[in-house]
Amino acid sequence: MGVMTLIYRGILALVIFLVVRCCFREKDFWKQTTAAVVVIPMLLRLFMIK
Amino acid sequence: MDWFWPEGFYAVLMLAAFAVGVFKLKLPVAIAMCGSAVIGALSAGFGLHPARLVGQLVEGMFGYIDTILIIATAMIFMNVVQSIGLMESVAAWIIRRFRKSPFMLSCGVMFLIMLPGMLTGSSTACCLTTGALVAPVLIKLGVPGKKTAAFIAMGAVLGMIAPPINIPVMIIGGGIDMPYVGFTLPLLIATVPLALLVIALLALPSLKKKGAVDEAELETELKRMESVPLTARLFLPFVVLIVLMVGEQTLGMPLQFLVSSASAFLTGRRWNVLESATNAVKDAIPVLGILMGVGMFVQIMTLSGVRGFIVVSALAIPSWLLYLSIATTIPAFGAISSFGAASVLGVPFILALLSRDQIITASGLALIAGLGDLVPPTALAGIFAAQVAGEKNYFAVLRHCAVPSIAIAVWGIALIALANPLSSILR
Repeated sequence: MGVMTLIYRGILALVIFLVVRCCFREKDFWKQTTAAVVVIPMLLRLFMIK
Repeated sequence: MDWFWPEGFYAVLMLAAFAVGVFKLKLPVAIAMCGSAVIGALSAGFGLHPARLVGQLVEGMFGYIDTILIIATAMIFMNVVQSIGLMESVAAWIIRRFRKSPFMLSCGVMFLIMLPGMLTGSSTACCLTTGALVAPVLIKLGVPGKKTAAFIAMGAVLGMIAPPINIPVMIIGGGIDMPYVGFTLPLLIATVPLALLVIALLALPSLKKKGAVDEAELETELKRMESVPLTARLFLPFVVLIVLMVGEQTLGMPLQFLVSSASAFLTGRRWNVLESATNAVKDAIPVLGILMGVGMFVQIMTLSGVRGFIVVSALAIPSWLLYLSIATTIPAFGAISSFGAASVLGVPFILALLSRDQIITASGLALIAGLGDLVPPTALAGIFAAQVAGEKNYFAVLRHCAVPSIAIAVWGIALIALANPLSSILR
């Protein structure tokens, strides 16, 4: 696995962490759902499932 | 009716489901779009294999994963340069330096508003960062609240179209395998004259009025904004970003934005990394969600044949009607998303205009697609600009955007119509 791939997975992990943090801080259910929708493809890419 | 059935029906159903979701059920745009994609898929008979349906929805989301990474990291960058005090300091300097020259002052403020959009490709970034910064100052300088919000909204739309980053062009280019190269000059031609027009219509008349300013209040605000001295070193994050963008293109934009953000540790006010980054992502989530929704929506449109139906319909439009269709349908689709409009309508229209210079034509189409950010219910630029200017009713703000928006549509069409002569002049 190349260095750039690792760096990009690191960036993805960072953004996922921040989105999840926002999700837990958010009180509105639909805003939490929006954050969850955003996280799905990023998680799949992070773990190289897709 | 043969030409309409069944794809046209699916299209109407998906749009109706979206409208019900947003207006009736008051769902966030992203969720409404996701729901309408599911309804479209079910009506087209793709609900028999739920796993396959979910697979298609996820596939659609992946179409925008690079874009959301760019927007998220760019928002972090903009939040960081705001946290170190750079944007406030620059805004205060512009106001003091050009206070006596309303034209130069409004040009400087317009550039500040456009800057985040130029770097992130998102109008939301403009409204929530520099838009929020200049809104109170513009109001104190005598510009009415609604006009201030309209000025920010128009600046945000032009900022997202101005180079170096233009996501609608990237989306249109992706649809016809056109690289994102050579767009700087056409996009400047597309946006700079319109920015001057917006200045003349929305800011200049109020800024020219004498005696409308409470000098003491303005001075207090400027003193607050100048708390971090404006030094050359304060510009370090921007210098690093420009060097990386011009010199080291192999890094990719998300990494460039993060490296530039990290350089902010060496200058300006102390800032909390985690809080700044979290706030930036919090502001970006609605836009990121919409992109995910658009991805699913477009994927199901493609799967059910609706996209093909739109492409064939666009190609069959008589040439005299083509320009009118471009000027009306692309902004109207912006009610869903301007990025979605670029994808669903921008690609077929550029295919219908293959005899024109593709770079200038795509720039014109992207300019018109940008208008989508002013179309309700999404109206990202209108809603956020109204919010930062303290205006409760964003429809009142959009009324002030009507004339500049018509000018944008006319200018975009002119660029497309004159693409070939313009291309020969630019070469």
